[in-house]
Amino acid sequence: MSGVASRRVGWMAVALLLLLLAVLLSLAVGSRAIAPAAVWDALLHGGTSDDAQVVRALRVPRTVVGVLVGIALGVAGTVLQGITRNPIAEPGILGISQGASLGVVCAITFFGVHTLNGYVWYAFAGAAVAAVCIYVVASSGRGGASPVKLALAGAAMNAFLASVVTGILTTDARALDEFRFWDVGSIAGRDASIVGQTWPFLVAGLLLVLAMARGLDALALGEDIARGLGRNVALLRATGAVGATVLTGVAVAAAGPIAFTGLAVPHIARALVGPGHRWLLPMAAVLGPVMLLLADVLGRIVVRPSEVPVAVMTALAGVPFLVVLVRRRKVVAA
Amino acid sequence: MTQATFRPPGHAVLRTGKSSLLLHRRSLLVALVLTALLAATVVASLCFGESFVAPGEVVRVLLGLPSPDELVVGTLRLPRLVTGLLVGAAFGVSGALIQTVARNPLASPDVIGVTHGAGAATVAAMTFGVTSYAVLPYVSVVGGLAAALLVYLLAWRRGLHAARFVLIGIGISVALGSLTRLFVTKGDYLVAQQAKVWLTGSLNGRGYDQAAPLATVLLLLVPFLLWAGRAQRGAAFDDDTATALGTRLDRDRLGLGALGVVLASVATAAAGPVDFVALLAPQIARRLTRTPHIPLLCSALMGALIVTVADLLARRLFSPTELPVGVFTALVGAPYLMWLIVSSRSGRSGGTA
Repeated sequence: MSGVASRRVGWMAVALLLLLLAVLLSLAVGSRAIAPAAVWDALLHGGTSDDAQVVRALRVPRTVVGVLVGIALGVAGTVLQGITRNPIAEPGILGISQGASLGVVCAITFFGVHTLNGYVWYAFAGAAVAAVCIYVVASSGRGGASPVKLALAGAAMNAFLASVVTGILTTDARALDEFRFWDVGSIAGRDASIVGQTWPFLVAGLLLVLAMARGLDALALGEDIARGLGRNVALLRATGAVGATVLTGVAVAAAGPIAFTGLAVPHIARALVGPGHRWLLPMAAVLGPVMLLLADVLGRIVVRPSEVPVAVMTALAGVPFLVVLVRRRKVVAA
Repeated sequence: MTQATFRPPGHAVLRTGKSSLLLHRRSLLVALVLTALLAATVVASLCFGESFVAPGEVVRVLLGLPSPDELVVGTLRLPRLVTGLLVGAAFGVSGALIQTVARNPLASPDVIGVTHGAGAATVAAMTFGVTSYAVLPYVSVVGGLAAALLVYLLAWRRGLHAARFVLIGIGISVALGSLTRLFVTKGDYLVAQQAKVWLTGSLNGRGYDQAAPLATVLLLLVPFLLWAGRAQRGAAFDDDTATALGTRLDRDRLGLGALGVVLASVATAAAGPVDFVALLAPQIARRLTRTPHIPLLCSALMGALIVTVADLLARRLFSPTELPVGVFTALVGAPYLMWLIVSSRSGRSGGTA
């Protein structure tokens, strides 16, 4: 085994260990202090004590949803960065998550859809429309879709969609009641059934994206070279966009909009295993949940006894990343 | 040379005795039209509400004459309107100054983190028990300045590149927004309620309590604004030209930028982050006047006009429900920002990596 390959395998093992650690922390830490031994016992044997109930009914679903959303966001960010060839592309910054939110609000308000299975489709539709709009806006005009234009278009899109959402919710109290538990971007209090309803979409999105890993590698070399290598660039981009949209839609439908996980994770993964997407995508899929669960655990601790939604914590952790990225010469040609 | 017969095109000279003033004719016209529109909006805004008040009565109240509608117009609607006017004017001028300094129409106080900094500081102060509207504006100003300084320092890397500035500003805005929510979560229920109303950028329930500190600050800033009107023209040139013309560029830019940040922060303290007014007003004003620099007076008028019209629509469109005015300004402002991006001529504003 060559040096590079063994290093990759090594980092992958480390990442998996981290994931295990994050899962354990997520199960053990919370506003109610439960001894690790009791957690373990509850997991293995169940039981009817209060502690066992807390672990099995609250923390296990929460952790599972966290893993699912983390995978979706990490991979979606990686794919978006791949197809736009832009280091700051991310579902949250680009406003795709907010588009999915708007889709869900519309589903609740105008179409009377109240089940997750129903509104996940609206989330997909909203995410897709937002993604297309952003890309069209950012890539028109001179200079193509540069990082600045993408980020600005995303910021504008976020503001616009957020105000539409606020507008709808202020005029419809019933929708607000249903929506307010969901829009903060939190994995607390989610039902285990959410996992059952969303995993097929997650798997579909992941398969779609993994199938195009080699294509993303070619695209990283530039459009012309990718074309020269026999790749259908337009098809690649379209497939990638569909995959990223589905993954973002899954994440938003399950947990509400969560920004910056999709930004930081691909960069960390790239630093560890290099730019090849066949390693990068799995690595992002492992690191995504690690970051999300750790942020969530931190959010349970900082303002005890209340909790901070995970989206707030990921944003606080992710922004330094953005700053470092932007300060590097590569992003902005100074 | 005997007499100064040279006159720049499109300008008129106003002479009173020895002193003379060069006036841009079109700017003057635009300012007059905007003032007329603003007056009409003011009357309309006082007319419409839960009950309709005849314009004649509104004018009587405004002139201080006795009127049966004194209570509705003078006590209930006027304070809110005054706050809206002041907030709009402050945001308009603030945007004009910061856009001049950054020489980039995209750099408005809400994009580069000033309003979010002011917001985070205010909510933090509320969380720690400061709820008086006499103190909060100053907290806001400190927050806004700190955020602007932070963005400036982080974006500084062998010179200030506009693209880097904007990107870091967006990032810091998001972080500060999250921090604000953290404080809201931490605070008790009543604080959360107050902060929530304030954060939506609404004029609902705002009155002289909020308008008074804002008006004080604006009055104190008038001399600086007069200076800014002059300094702004020099600062709008690129570095080489301005230096060659003898402008003390660093000093002027620092002063103008600080002034813009203070204005945006005070306005935010009064009404919460009303998005995109600071971005829209100067750009529209400049397109109307067709001046090479961004006109300050017209920006102020335009800002006030935008906020009052948006508030009128937000109040009446879905009555009895009132929307926050920030929702309306964002609905108009965000597409405009996108249009700016689409039509931007500068291909060098950021390279693809």
